[in-house]
Amino acid sequence: MRGLGRLLVTLLAVAGLALVGVGLARLPARPPQPDGTGPPPQLVTAPSLPPLLRADPVEVRIPRIGVRAPLVPVAADRAGALEVPPLDRPGVAGWYRPGVSPGESGNAVLVGHVDAPDGPAVFFELGRLRPGDTVHIARADATVVRFAVDAVEAYPKESFPTDLVYGPGTAAGLRLITCGGRFDQGSGEYVDNVIVFATRTA
Amino acid sequence: MKATQVLVPVASGIALGALLLPGTALADTTVSPSTTPVGGTVVLTATNCNPNSGDAIFHVTGPDRDQNVRSTTAAASGGLSAELFTAGFTLGTYTVAATCGDGTPDGSATFTVTPIGGAQAGGRDGTGGGGTLAVGATLLVTSLGGAVILARRRRHAAQAATL
Repeated sequence: MRGLGRLLVTLLAVAGLALVGVGLARLPARPPQPDGTGPPPQLVTAPSLPPLLRADPVEVRIPRIGVRAPLVPVAADRAGALEVPPLDRPGVAGWYRPGVSPGESGNAVLVGHVDAPDGPAVFFELGRLRPGDTVHIARADATVVRFAVDAVEAYPKESFPTDLVYGPGTAAGLRLITCGGRFDQGSGEYVDNVIVFATRTA
Repeated sequence: MKATQVLVPVASGIALGALLLPGTALADTTVSPSTTPVGGTVVLTATNCNPNSGDAIFHVTGPDRDQNVRSTTAAASGGLSAELFTAGFTLGTYTVAATCGDGTPDGSATFTVTPIGGAQAGGRDGTGGGGTLAVGATLLVTSLGGAVILARRRRHAAQAATL
C-alpha cells in the first residue's frame, strides 16, 4: 500500500515537472517596447524632396531588426477597423491602399502583426527601432524609397492618434503600426499600438 | 521720361499683386476636423459667404462620391456651415469646394476618412503556456502534499514500533 502511494506521488511530481517545463517553454515572448525617445512626431522637419508618383509598394526592409517582408494591400474591415494581413501569413505586412503610396506627399501606412499563435510575427521587433534607423520600401515601379525613423511611440488603442497616422502632410512620411504594451487575457488583445514615425530621406 | 519706363514697373507690380492675392483671399473653405474615422462628422464652413445672399453649396468629391451639401447654419466665426456625416464613406481623401449663395466660389479644402481606432495586430494564443503551467503547478503541489502525508505516516509507524 505504501509502495503504491510512493509511486503515485512520484508520478504526480514527474508529470507536474513536465507540464511546468512545457508551460514555461510555451509562454510567449514579450515584444520590445519603445523607450519614448526622439522628438514628438509632429515637430519633425522633413527634408525637401520632390514627391514621387503613386506606385504600389511591394516589399519593406528594416535592416536594424532584420525585417524583409512582402507587402499586401489592406483597407478596413466591415466594422471600419484597419485590416491586417491574414494570421496564417505572419511574415507578411500590409499597406493601407486607400492612403498614399510610400514616396508620395503625405503619410503612407504599413501594418503588421507583432505575433501569431506560433510565435513572433513580422513586426515583433518594431519597438526596438530608434530615431535614425532606416526603412526601405521597394515599389512596383522598381524604385526604392528610403525613410529615416523620427520617433517610436506606444499609444493606447482607445486613443489612437488618427491625425498623426493618416493626416495630410506636405512631405513624404511613413507610419508602421503593430501591437504592443500589456496583453489583456480577457480580450485576447494587446492594449496598445506601437507606431513608428519616419520621413523620406532618399 | 518715356511712358514705357513708367508702365513696366507698374505692370510688374500689378502682376505680382495678382499672384499674391488669391492665396490670401480665396482659400476660405475649411473642414474640421481634417481627419475623421469613418462614421464621424465633419463641419464644412465657407467663411466668406454672406448669409444674406442665400445658402452656400458645398460640392464634395472623393473616391466614390460626388454630392452637394447645402449649408444649414450661420457659423459663429462668420460665413455658412454644414455638418457632413461620413457613415458609409469609402476610406480616402475628399475635396470640398464651396460656392456662396450669390454664385461666387469660396475656395476648397480636403479631409480624410480613416479606419476606426487602432490596429488589432496581435495574433498570439490568448492562453499561451499559462494553462499548461497552471496544471503542472497543481500536480507538483499535489505530489508535495502526498509526500508529506507519506512521510508523516512513516514517522508515526516508526514511533509505534519503538513503543
